[in-house]
Amino acid sequence: MQLNLHLLLPEMLVLGAALAVIVTELLLPPGRRARATAFTAFAGLAAALGLLVSGWMDGTTGSAFLLVKDGVHVTGWSVDAFSTFTRALAATGGLLLVLLSVPYTRRMDRGHGEFYAVLLFALAGVMLVSGVGDLLSMFVCLELVTISSYVLAAFKRNDVRSTEAGLKYLVVGSVSSALLLMGIAFLFGATGTLSLQGLQVAVASGSPDSLLVLGATLLMVGILFKVGAVPFHVWIPDVYEGAPSPVTAFLSTASKSAGLVLLMRLAQVVLVPATGKPEAAWLWLLVVLSGLTLLLGLLGAMRQQHMKRLLGYSSIGHAGYLLAAIAATSAAGARPEQGITAILFYLAAFFFTNLTAFAVVVLVGGSQSPAGVSPWAGLARRSPFLALAMVLALLSLAGVPPLSGFFGKFLVLHSVVAGASHQPLLWLVAGLGALGILISLYFYLVWIGEMWFKDPAPELVAQPIAVPASTRALLWVGMLAMLGMGVVMGPAYGWAQTAARALVGSAP
Amino acid sequence: MNPLLLILLAPAAATLLLFFVGSENKRAVRTLATLAAATSLAAATWLFLGFHDAPVGASAGSHAYKHVLRLDWVPSLGLSFHLGVDGMGVAMVLLTAITLFTGTMVSYRVETRVKEYYINLLALVVGVFGVFMSLDLFFYYFFYELAVIPMFLLIGTWGSTTKTVDQRYATMKLVLVLSAGAALALVGLIATYVEAGRILGHGTFDMVLLEQASTQFSTAFQMTWFWPVFLGFAALVPMWPLHSWSPAGHAAAPAAVSMLHAGVLMKLGAFGIVRLALTWYPEAAHAYLPWVGVLCCFNILYGGLVAVSQRDMKLVIGYSSSSHMGYVLLGIASLTALGLDGAVFLMFAHGVMTALAFSLIGFFYDQTHTRMLDDLGGMMKVMPFVGTCFVIASMASAGLPGFANFVSELMVILGAWQSTTIWGKVPAILAVWGLVVTGVYLLRTVKDAWFGELKPRWRGLRDAQTVTERTPFVLLVAVLLFFGFWPRPMLEMIQHGTKPLMERIEATRPAGTQASVPAAPAAPGTGEAR
Repeated sequence: MQLNLHLLLPEMLVLGAALAVIVTELLLPPGRRARATAFTAFAGLAAALGLLVSGWMDGTTGSAFLLVKDGVHVTGWSVDAFSTFTRALAATGGLLLVLLSVPYTRRMDRGHGEFYAVLLFALAGVMLVSGVGDLLSMFVCLELVTISSYVLAAFKRNDVRSTEAGLKYLVVGSVSSALLLMGIAFLFGATGTLSLQGLQVAVASGSPDSLLVLGATLLMVGILFKVGAVPFHVWIPDVYEGAPSPVTAFLSTASKSAGLVLLMRLAQVVLVPATGKPEAAWLWLLVVLSGLTLLLGLLGAMRQQHMKRLLGYSSIGHAGYLLAAIAATSAAGARPEQGITAILFYLAAFFFTNLTAFAVVVLVGGSQSPAGVSPWAGLARRSPFLALAMVLALLSLAGVPPLSGFFGKFLVLHSVVAGASHQPLLWLVAGLGALGILISLYFYLVWIGEMWFKDPAPELVAQPIAVPASTRALLWVGMLAMLGMGVVMGPAYGWAQTAARALVGSAP
Repeated sequence: MNPLLLILLAPAAATLLLFFVGSENKRAVRTLATLAAATSLAAATWLFLGFHDAPVGASAGSHAYKHVLRLDWVPSLGLSFHLGVDGMGVAMVLLTAITLFTGTMVSYRVETRVKEYYINLLALVVGVFGVFMSLDLFFYYFFYELAVIPMFLLIGTWGSTTKTVDQRYATMKLVLVLSAGAALALVGLIATYVEAGRILGHGTFDMVLLEQASTQFSTAFQMTWFWPVFLGFAALVPMWPLHSWSPAGHAAAPAAVSMLHAGVLMKLGAFGIVRLALTWYPEAAHAYLPWVGVLCCFNILYGGLVAVSQRDMKLVIGYSSSSHMGYVLLGIASLTALGLDGAVFLMFAHGVMTALAFSLIGFFYDQTHTRMLDDLGGMMKVMPFVGTCFVIASMASAGLPGFANFVSELMVILGAWQSTTIWGKVPAILAVWGLVVTGVYLLRTVKDAWFGELKPRWRGLRDAQTVTERTPFVLLVAVLLFFGFWPRPMLEMIQHGTKPLMERIEATRPAGTQASVPAAPAAPGTGEAR
């Protein structure tokens, strides 16, 4: 048994910050809580990010803990470039989420401590997921994210919509957790091991076993719930619409990325060794699901009147693109590294872009007022700065250069087309991906037209939108990141590639 | 400094600087934009004049690129920021610079949201310049997509809804067709990248290397991937029956945007076909382009006949553009040296001519707020200068000798005559008839709008009087006349790019289909023999 628990210091810092937030709230008078709790959470995440970045620089690798029996891992938690990249991404996303939540928590009269503490717990779960070495720890990490999300989604206790969203999410999430657990049980039954490494050995050497296929399929279904892939996507629009905007921002970025990180790892463990065997039916499943996810998500977004629902549907579409890249990594003969790099870059771009968009949503509001007045009409006249940020974010989501979303989509399509020369089935996904660019451009442009071409409603003209310093900072960071990663893609691409190579090269 | 970099960076820098200029300070905004455009134009002229003396920077076979600038961008993907031009690229860069400069001056009349207007206009042109001078496939696509969104905002914000066209509808249609073409081509471009990577042993977006690798593309590969790349760009040309977005887009757009749209943006499509589809897939071109030649006749005749029945002047010129682009496609589809040179020359000539026509229509539309031929009439009496320029533009468009359009259209028709496709000389003959149709709608437009009885309500119209108002018109007319009387410099420039391509095309020509007349040894002679 090896123990290097200092490698988990970033997560401990985040969890420690969560506790510190609660204590801070207890100690301070109500009037000063909002600012102090946000600051504590921010400091904890910043420290964690600093540690991760310095660890990346040093090239720190190893196992936080590792238990080996008869030469096969029983459990473990590995630190490599892949997990460092995804943890740093989660921490960065967390920092932006805290900045984004400031205007929201200012409007609350109580519960500041709970909000940030639960958010930090969830983020710690997202960070922990990336290095897990066995299925049970994986389940626990994922549940940490999911259960925290139930609380967050229903955070506005007095609001019917928020409560409804929380309940829906609870029901759907529990089902998916149950499926996940069942899949793990079947896999254990089929292979006699819970560790990812043991599983990989069993898949690569063993004969096809129906129990194994069933277990892996259930496992994948459970994760696809978290990612929000078709046909497990129906909860997304309702939950996204009802939950408080900062929570929706969390669900659409960090929470989604936890599922994807797991999927990338599992694809390396189960899918890649199994390609060419009868189990390659999983590849078919993935191809069909990614195509459907992409298409249904984007088609669903076309007629949305509510900004948060729109972003919900569009996030389904984006999940489709990411799944397509995962399918591409699994094509026999393809270089999995390409697809993983594409996903990591796409995720990083998506984090900055989507959080920029939600920062504007928090200030402007999701939908029409009861009187039927859209706050988005003529936003360019009311607040040119917010409109600029939102236009850039939507264009980046649509995949228009010179913004980061474009290069992300380009990399995904590239990996899919490269995979298609080995596995012709992927041409289908490539075609749908190209069509998807067109559909998404349409509905994002409709909203951009709303903000840019129209005049604001008369009663809103005189109401300027106050932009707090925290949101202003976030928007600047987001816009610079979108432009920076979209024009000078080299550095971010290089980091993603290093991380991808670590994942592909290292058997867990 | 590399002239290409200067041409590209001047509008790019101005776009960024404009964000920091106060939006009330319209004068500063206009000055800054004009300075950037003038810098680009000066650098493009310098590029044109000194091109033949410049050293060769990179070459694929005999195809030489000059003024090459290469910076590694993402080395592991084979992606670099790579600029360079051949003669064809120089012609297009010069066209863009002329259109930008005149468009900027014509836009002085824009009074609402001036700052945002120029930011979008310059960003659009950065994209267009980038396409014409990129030697990296990724950036080629990058710049192309970059041009689309400013187009959306420009037409949607500063355009107008008229009796004939709904602005919102036209804007969205234009952007979606442009993007659909791009998305279709993108799949083909990536597939080509992957295939070339297999041949070369390492993936690269370097278009020079791709051109070298393309000699080893299998026939089956060429036959498959010709279509997505060709159709993607053909939608932009626009080839019949994919053309309907274009006239509607013109009608909804403000003057300078119409100028850029017809003058430059449509040329991106033809440029892409020559630079990518023809260069990479010559065998497929031999197999499929005869069919495209037939579609071109629809472009020419159908587009012309639709223009005859239009009453909105912008729609007349819009449909006439799609008709003229049919000649460009016909020249390319003929796969003869004469036809190809003529096609590229016509891209230049038509770009200048439509820019002139749209800028003139924009000038009086700002005063009359109608472009319907039935409302106009006799305007020559109140605005003789603008009217004269319009008559000149119409004569150029109709292919009268003395204008660059005449030389280029003649070359296209002769090229089509030489080509030996299964359709024989039918496309060439139909194309000649197209000239008659062109004459019909242009003469009618000139008669209805400028001559006849002057309606009383137009008595107060103001002619172009100041230097800033007249400069763009004079410049465009001068360019048309200059290259009409002395086409040689432009043709030599174009041949620098098309000659190596023709060698490649001749080498892959299937046996038994030799051109009926040997390729003209010195095409410039056509211009002078007149």
